[in-house]
Amino acid sequence: MKDRHLSLNQTQRVRLEAALHELQSLAPAAASAAAVTVADTIPVNQEDNILKGHGTSDQDGEVVATLCGVVERVNKLVYVRTLRARYKPEVGDIIVGRVIEIAPKRWRLEINFSQDAVLMLSSMNLPDGIQRRRTAVDELNMRSIFEENDVICAEVRGFQHDGSLHLQARSEKYGKLERGQLLMVPPYLVKRKKQHFHHLEQYNVDLILGCNGFIWVGEHVVVGEKTKPTGGQQRFSTEAENFTPLETRKHICRLANAVRVLSALGFTLTVELIIETMEASVSSNAEINDMLGAEFYVQTAEREAKRRADLLRKKNGAR
Amino acid sequence: MVGLSEGEKHFIHGGIAQDIRTDGRRRLQFRALSVHTGVIPQAGFRTCLVASMCLFLLFLSGNALRVYVSSDWWLLVLQANGSAHVRLGATEIIASVKAELGKPSILHPDKGKVSIFVDCSPTAEPMFEGRGSEELSAELSVALQRCLLGGKSGAGAAIDLSSLIVVEGKVCWDLYIDGLVVSSDGNLLDALSAAIKVALSDTGIPKVNVSLSAASDEEPEVDVSDEEFLQFDTSSVPVIITLTKVGRHYIVDATSEEESQMSSAVSVSVNRHGQICGLTKRGGAGLDPSVILDMISVAKHVSQQFISLLDSEIAAAEAEAEE
Repeated sequence: MKDRHLSLNQTQRVRLEAALHELQSLAPAAASAAAVTVADTIPVNQEDNILKGHGTSDQDGEVVATLCGVVERVNKLVYVRTLRARYKPEVGDIIVGRVIEIAPKRWRLEINFSQDAVLMLSSMNLPDGIQRRRTAVDELNMRSIFEENDVICAEVRGFQHDGSLHLQARSEKYGKLERGQLLMVPPYLVKRKKQHFHHLEQYNVDLILGCNGFIWVGEHVVVGEKTKPTGGQQRFSTEAENFTPLETRKHICRLANAVRVLSALGFTLTVELIIETMEASVSSNAEINDMLGAEFYVQTAEREAKRRADLLRKKNGAR
Repeated sequence: MVGLSEGEKHFIHGGIAQDIRTDGRRRLQFRALSVHTGVIPQAGFRTCLVASMCLFLLFLSGNALRVYVSSDWWLLVLQANGSAHVRLGATEIIASVKAELGKPSILHPDKGKVSIFVDCSPTAEPMFEGRGSEELSAELSVALQRCLLGGKSGAGAAIDLSSLIVVEGKVCWDLYIDGLVVSSDGNLLDALSAAIKVALSDTGIPKVNVSLSAASDEEPEVDVSDEEFLQFDTSSVPVIITLTKVGRHYIVDATSEEESQMSSAVSVSVNRHGQICGLTKRGGAGLDPSVILDMISVAKHVSQQFISLLDSEIAAAEAEAEE
């Protein structure tokens, strides 16, 4: 997503700095201790037998960081992990990707990884639902299932021996995503949780938080209708009856703007936080577009600082 | 440019038809506009290297346009007589005006010369690397020239070319206006015209003392003052409003996603008095004449708000620069 710069007036800047300062003081001390910037010395216990990994270099016998990030130690390996890196997949991750190419018996998807992910035709449920061997006719009709530029939700099946990533979309909940918008945020803001598909009933909206930083906000689709082949272009005629209902569209836009604001602030994206941000905008009667403005940005930072302070207080009080 | 799936395209069309675009804007609403002046140091001035962020927030009553103005520092190796850095949403433009002494053309000995050139930087899009941006740059330059420079004789130009003359027939000012597209997210023409207007308002033409002792056919001696400057009068410089037609409705300030869905776009250049200074139509779809007339009247209406918005921004940026 392109960066948006916000111009804040003096009071807003003061408020924002106060909120960010409070958030930093609430963060656990260990987290900030491990952060390094370029040319910081990394403390190591013994000088020998340390493997210097990515982002480090040897300067005058000291291990010095060459990137800005967090120091990670695994046994004898010391490396610096940057925050805004590309997505690092793990088996079982739910991701959202865009088809960029149709290759023999597979689709290639872009998922903000260093390579394109591959979705094999055999890892995909056929439209008629029958489990059978894929024939040459199936291969010729791949475009009727997914076309170029389609947005697809799938799961990481595993890595091949050559390092390429394979996906599978065998369940009913995976498949093509339509009637909504796709947002791209830095992948480190989406943590792995038990559930990534969220059906927000009160808004009739599907929210899918892909682990690769692609977030889908769209109209709710009943599970089971996703993998139907496109019956020509009739569904996408520009008839007014065919558009998303106005109320649902407003909710979709508000949720999308909430995600944009939270990712601009660098807060971890969870469903609760997104819904809370959206409801705050509704209760303060802000216009949907005003959510991208300076005032709402500062208010969101303040709200989050207050929420974390309350949480910490409750935890300390409960002990 | 990332492609869009059919479902996403349908969503964008629906949003425009229902007056709620993907970021919640209305059809005739602009994105957040942010203006900085003096980003390229002027000759003879000392530029302060400490960033001082003075901020100013302006609300326009009665509609949802929001305005952010701040002053920023930017030390580049170039020097310019006037410069501006304008952000319209995620689209960023840097415009600079350089003035040099030159000879007026023989056909128009009483007029100075202005040339406008646009360059798209590869930081905006990878495809602008090398010669990839030539077509787009040429198109934008020509559109801006048509809107701002008027006809061959200089008639109808937004900038008064007669004010650029120093010695009639011998010495005149040549203005070189350059626009650089740093980040591209749709609506480049509007942002470029706004940046050029702001840069011109920031421009100071050095005062010139002509020695009167020269004979009529000799080159007169001119002494270019380093201290005194004449500010440019930009009250008649127009702005360009681009109306993008998507489906049956028109939108103002399209993002690059919305622009990829357009059937046609009409860019109207309107000045402060509501007069049309230029007109460009892009896109392959044909338009009914009544539609064009309607688009022109909508553009006129929107432009008045945009011009007053831009004027207040320029005033605020100048007030900051003096601090």
